[in-house]
Amino acid sequence: MASRTLSLSNVIAGYGYGDVLKGVDLEVEQGSVTCIVGPNGAGKSTVLRAISGVLRPREGTIRFEGSDVCGVSPAQILARGIAQVPQSNGIFPNLSVRENVLIGAYILRRDRALVERRLGAVAELFPIIRERGSEKAGNLSGGQRRTVEFARSLMLDPSLVMLDEPSVGLDPKALRAIAGAIKQMSEAGKTLLIIEQNVRFGLRMSTHGVVMESGRVLMHDRADTVLGNPEMTDLFFGGTVAAGPRRASTPA
Amino acid sequence: MRLAAAARGAIPGELSELASPRWVGRALLVIGGAIVLVYPLISNDLFYQNLIILSLLFAIGAVGLNVIMGWGGYISLGQSSFIGLGAYTVGILATRVGGSPFVWLPAAGLVAALFALVLGAVATRLRGHSFVIATIAALFLLQIVATNWRGFTHGTTGITLPIPQWDVAYQNWPFYYSLMGLLVLALLLSWRIRKTKFGTGLIAIREDEDKAATVGIDTPVYKSLGFAASAVFLGMAGGVYGYYLTFLDPTGMFDIILSVQIVLAVILGGRGTLWGPVLGAFLIESINELANQQLGGGNSRLLIFGGLLTLAILVLPKGIIPSVEELWKRRRAEGTAALAGGRLNGLPAHPVDRRAQPAPRTGSSLLELKGLAKRFGGVHAVDDLTFTVEEGSITALIGPNGSGKTTAFNLIGGTMSADGGEIWLDGRRIDRLRPWRRAYLGLGRTFQITRLFGQMTVLENVVAPMRSFSLSQLNAGAMSGPEASRAEELLQFVGMREFRDQRAAELSFGQQKLVEFAQVLMLDPKLIMLDEPGGGINPTLVARMAEMIRELNQRGTTFLIVEHNLPLVLDLCDPVLVLAGGSCISSGSPEAIQKDPLVLDAYLGEDFKLEEPVGAH
Repeated sequence: MASRTLSLSNVIAGYGYGDVLKGVDLEVEQGSVTCIVGPNGAGKSTVLRAISGVLRPREGTIRFEGSDVCGVSPAQILARGIAQVPQSNGIFPNLSVRENVLIGAYILRRDRALVERRLGAVAELFPIIRERGSEKAGNLSGGQRRTVEFARSLMLDPSLVMLDEPSVGLDPKALRAIAGAIKQMSEAGKTLLIIEQNVRFGLRMSTHGVVMESGRVLMHDRADTVLGNPEMTDLFFGGTVAAGPRRASTPA
Repeated sequence: MRLAAAARGAIPGELSELASPRWVGRALLVIGGAIVLVYPLISNDLFYQNLIILSLLFAIGAVGLNVIMGWGGYISLGQSSFIGLGAYTVGILATRVGGSPFVWLPAAGLVAALFALVLGAVATRLRGHSFVIATIAALFLLQIVATNWRGFTHGTTGITLPIPQWDVAYQNWPFYYSLMGLLVLALLLSWRIRKTKFGTGLIAIREDEDKAATVGIDTPVYKSLGFAASAVFLGMAGGVYGYYLTFLDPTGMFDIILSVQIVLAVILGGRGTLWGPVLGAFLIESINELANQQLGGGNSRLLIFGGLLTLAILVLPKGIIPSVEELWKRRRAEGTAALAGGRLNGLPAHPVDRRAQPAPRTGSSLLELKGLAKRFGGVHAVDDLTFTVEEGSITALIGPNGSGKTTAFNLIGGTMSADGGEIWLDGRRIDRLRPWRRAYLGLGRTFQITRLFGQMTVLENVVAPMRSFSLSQLNAGAMSGPEASRAEELLQFVGMREFRDQRAAELSFGQQKLVEFAQVLMLDPKLIMLDEPGGGINPTLVARMAEMIRELNQRGTTFLIVEHNLPLVLDLCDPVLVLAGGSCISSGSPEAIQKDPLVLDAYLGEDFKLEEPVGAH
């Protein structure tokens, strides 16, 4: 396996009402797709905030590509090659698809040639950016919107892309579309760090899985190993579909 | 105060209680109160007596304004109209009818409160800046009336009140102590409102007015009552102020600078706190007097007020008291462990259901949509939508993104109004009713992106909903008593009880979903509409959510659920309605829906397999 691109060690962080992260150790390998799963409120989004510089950890170190990035400003983190796609809908519905993607290159706006080159590369990966570039983003379907958000995050050519619950709110067709988009980003050489509540969906498209609970990392292994772990399944992944009780069998 | 209490609840007995801002605040309060109480007895300095009298007037105004501005979120720059109304009421009655002006103070309060109710009924239809402008307009309107209705108000000539008859030895004591008494009453009212469901309702309006309406909060009534509460003691204080000056004229009484000073006091001291407005009022008036005495008065104080406002917004956007509390809370929480989501332990206790017997599936329709339509520009978001939800069923509403599911929810709940068609709930047509009326009829809903009242605690969020409109419910305690214990049971039911004192904004997305579920249960709805209950929450929790839905359903609650988690839908719901392009393209049992070619084409995709709903590697 390739080298570690990101490593967190004993990260302690919170929002002013106590520590949410209580000593997180996490390693992300170059080129991997790592998926963090766990109960609600376990600190998954907080880990992303600590990495992206929005939240300054109280203790611990975060190293990215060999340098310490703990406490570095969000703008600096972005410049160093970590991009994030937030959970909530970040599409501007009244701007065109192309404009929505270009927002991601705002800090490069003076270097037009570079912006055009990046846009070309992104459109290569996601043809919809070219095909429907002049349409209003509001007219796109849920999966297409999410794809536009992915495209936007690639405009600064990051080496690590963090996705906060890419599946939330998407219909089954869209889910398959964005699974494809994530795979494409991975094949294009991006390292991906994903948070997913749709655990099976997340782990199946990942190479590595991380289970968090109560502000700590409980398990970190290959994704299929995590997915196959009976204890984790029992605690956090829910029963399989077939095992769920049917309405007909519940006493009225 | 609230924050300190919350922090105490979360981390019991960590540090010395005596050093907490609560106790420091109390000590300062006792010292400050004692000084103000005895000052006229120990000193004859009229300058400082005058300063305190004016500060008390502004404090009464600021404590009142805090009700509508700090909690309700509506800034009023028309508060001095209540001072003027009170002063003129007292002045006119005392000169025409006779008697001591003090006798007429209750009338002053009544007139101010009635005017606030009327103004509230009109102005609270507006939001944000429009509301502010409406309150300024009302102030100038009153000034113009007072100037031009000469027969009644003597116009610009003004009204001169009789010189006080009491012994000179008592100086200004009657003014001083009556204002002090009014401040105590204003504080008591403010404190009481904060403790009741009326107060929680006002905060809910501040946090998210549209959402507040869907949980049964009759927003115009709340706002008007809040406005009247902000006026009543200020009107009486205006009466005292008028008598103190012994001369009333339209420009001096309906003076917008007084309004500005009251607003500034609330902002500087701390919006939404009990004592912040008092602190702010005394600070602002001291600065004002300083400007008048030392810095040339007049224009310099305008400059100072402007500068202070800018400074307060830049440095202390929340005001002095909340900033100090926040700082203390942060320092104290440093190094402690926050509650964080862990594994689920055991099954929750059953909530007490107020309706006696489970309603069996009757076959009758509880909700009926007939030809519902909604357009956004040229887009038909909902287009001739017709379906029924059978009483006692768990009905699913599925369909691709953008097929109109959430719009349909907004139309049913009343957050949006339809362009055409009818909605019937339990035999009553509801499409013209306001959202809270629909809530009273038994309709509850959650939102896809949760909309909790962020600055309220988890418990307050669950207490806030109103099942019907009654004054006794408005007056019901929010943090103790039957309403609060019912809310705690519901929190227990969704497994969030240990987070009861945490602010809702501090919770993770999935936790907010659970709290919103408990919040909607507080309405005891007949029909609960859930917008993606399983979205963004852990699978174990999804399973628990499904169990909760089943359990409530068995006790008679009907559900209409929008959800993309197909295994959950197919397991839990029957029938399943399928939306595409704003209308219902198919409906039937879960088994039938999975095989319907229309559904496969529009939603599931040709290669849909339930066991592997997503494209794996």
